[in-house]
Amino acid sequence: MLSLTGLLPDPAGDRSVLAHGIGGARDLPISPELAIAGAVAALIVSFTVLTLAWRSPRYDAATSGRPAPRALAAVVDAPAFAVVLRVVGMALFLFTAWTAVFGEDLLINPFFGMFYVLLWVGIVPASLLFGPVWRAISPVRTLNRLLGMVTGSDPGQGLLTYPARLGYWPAAIGLFAFVWLELVFSQSTELGPVRLWCAAYVAVMLVGGALFGDAFYEQADPFEVYSTLVGKLSVWGRRDGMLVVRSPLANLDTVVARPGLVAVVAVLFGSTAYDSFQDSSVWLRFTQAHLDQARLLDNVALLAFCVGVGAIFAVGCATTGVEVSQRRWALPDLFAHSVVPIIVGYIAAHYLSYFVEVGQQTLILMSDPMSQGSNLLGTADLAVNYWLSYHPTFLATSKVVAVVLGHVLGVVAAHDRALKILPRRHQVTGQLPLLLAMVAFTVGGLYLLFAS
Amino acid sequence: MRHLLTAAALVCVLAVTAACGADETQDENPTATETTATEPAPPSVSATPEESETPSEEPEPEPEPEGTVIEMTLADGKVTPAGDRVQAEAGEPITFVIDADTGGELHVHSTPESEISFEAGVSEHEIVVDQPGVVEVELHEPALVVVQLEVR
Repeated sequence: MLSLTGLLPDPAGDRSVLAHGIGGARDLPISPELAIAGAVAALIVSFTVLTLAWRSPRYDAATSGRPAPRALAAVVDAPAFAVVLRVVGMALFLFTAWTAVFGEDLLINPFFGMFYVLLWVGIVPASLLFGPVWRAISPVRTLNRLLGMVTGSDPGQGLLTYPARLGYWPAAIGLFAFVWLELVFSQSTELGPVRLWCAAYVAVMLVGGALFGDAFYEQADPFEVYSTLVGKLSVWGRRDGMLVVRSPLANLDTVVARPGLVAVVAVLFGSTAYDSFQDSSVWLRFTQAHLDQARLLDNVALLAFCVGVGAIFAVGCATTGVEVSQRRWALPDLFAHSVVPIIVGYIAAHYLSYFVEVGQQTLILMSDPMSQGSNLLGTADLAVNYWLSYHPTFLATSKVVAVVLGHVLGVVAAHDRALKILPRRHQVTGQLPLLLAMVAFTVGGLYLLFAS
Repeated sequence: MRHLLTAAALVCVLAVTAACGADETQDENPTATETTATEPAPPSVSATPEESETPSEEPEPEPEPEGTVIEMTLADGKVTPAGDRVQAEAGEPITFVIDADTGGELHVHSTPESEISFEAGVSEHEIVVDQPGVVEVELHEPALVVVQLEVR
């Protein structure tokens, strides 16, 4: 986490391999009683849903949702609204680029906070509240559109068709590249490398957009896929082009299952779990005892967490009874949407105080982008409110509630999908392996919150 | 199947009630915990007894540092401890007793951050952390996390 006092680069320009990130103190671990209570609650809820919940599928993308209030729909559908959002997105992008290119290579450069906190963590609450936010503000979509206007070609259509078999895989790789940069890369808080990552991201997105059109952004832009997935837990949806208000679970059911969806959720959940694990005393002592291989160990561990989550989930989905005509290994992509609430619950638990406190600090630092003592936005003299850190019991309880709530929604979503696609005689027993996988995720998550 | 699973759900409920009834008075927040196995380097104490003492009486015991005490040794580029978890109290002094063969700097990643500069030899340094959280204390040269303080 970022801190305002006493931050200067080392004289040798060498940042510590293991301990630096942006931030001061981290959250305390949750108490064992709280962790166990959460785990038992998750178990109880899972079996209750399995035995007592509805027996025919409830969510139907074609009919669910009420039309949104007319005034709201009129505002949201107006072309001017879309333009305003694009301008806001572009302004934020240019400001970020300015700090990245012309700012100082110090931890008080707001670039790091804007990238790692406001963007990466902030995308979750923004999407929960407003739906697929990144699609509306995405600077790369805007740039692609501008290039289209300049060259006279249609920005929505590319030169080629996006291969359906590729699905969300590029987004999964992009998300892994981000978490690798944030969690494993030794220079994650140095301006040059992070700036390079962003430049590469913009380049790949622009080339992809030129080649494949809007379909590329929908399926291969890591931030857009992330935002759209989390946005499915909001109440906003579209049916036949009309803005509708739906229950989050009904909305979640409308996730388009494409190849690579399991990889996306696996990277999102696995990386957050690894982030917790990385801070634990066990891992710290292990890597410091083997300092020469510390980098390799971190890389292997991140990969192991992501692949492990994906494997557990895929096996949990596929070990079920299927009809002769069904393909067993097509099931994981069809159930992957039900992991999204678990991911969101765990991210809320892990990043709540970080987002609130480092986010405030970033807003303060944004007034001084060139680290010269200026006060461009008027926030430079404000102080961060550390209420959450001073109330660790409240924070710990909130974490467990978030994780258990995410689990509940995930189990219900998986249940409804199972009713739709599993043969009747396997509808209850067929859910058991997946249920156990989800319980394993939740219990594992709670354990990591306890041990970190 | 439904029957079996409902029974399993009831068992879980019973398990929760049983767990809640168990002893919850476990003290998770130990107060002054000492992590040292040996006595810390005694600070010089001026003992001027007001009354004359007979030679067989023991001198006044030297006051030990309050709060958490962490003994750190740095020798030939190796540091102990290397990543241990130590309990500490917010607002109470945390004492580092450092035995080093070269000078160096400890960065304390609290909010706000602070630093401990030490010279070669044996020295004692005190810090206070006000905000609860897990605070990493990191040495540069070699770049290692010495302890993680759980400040409550």
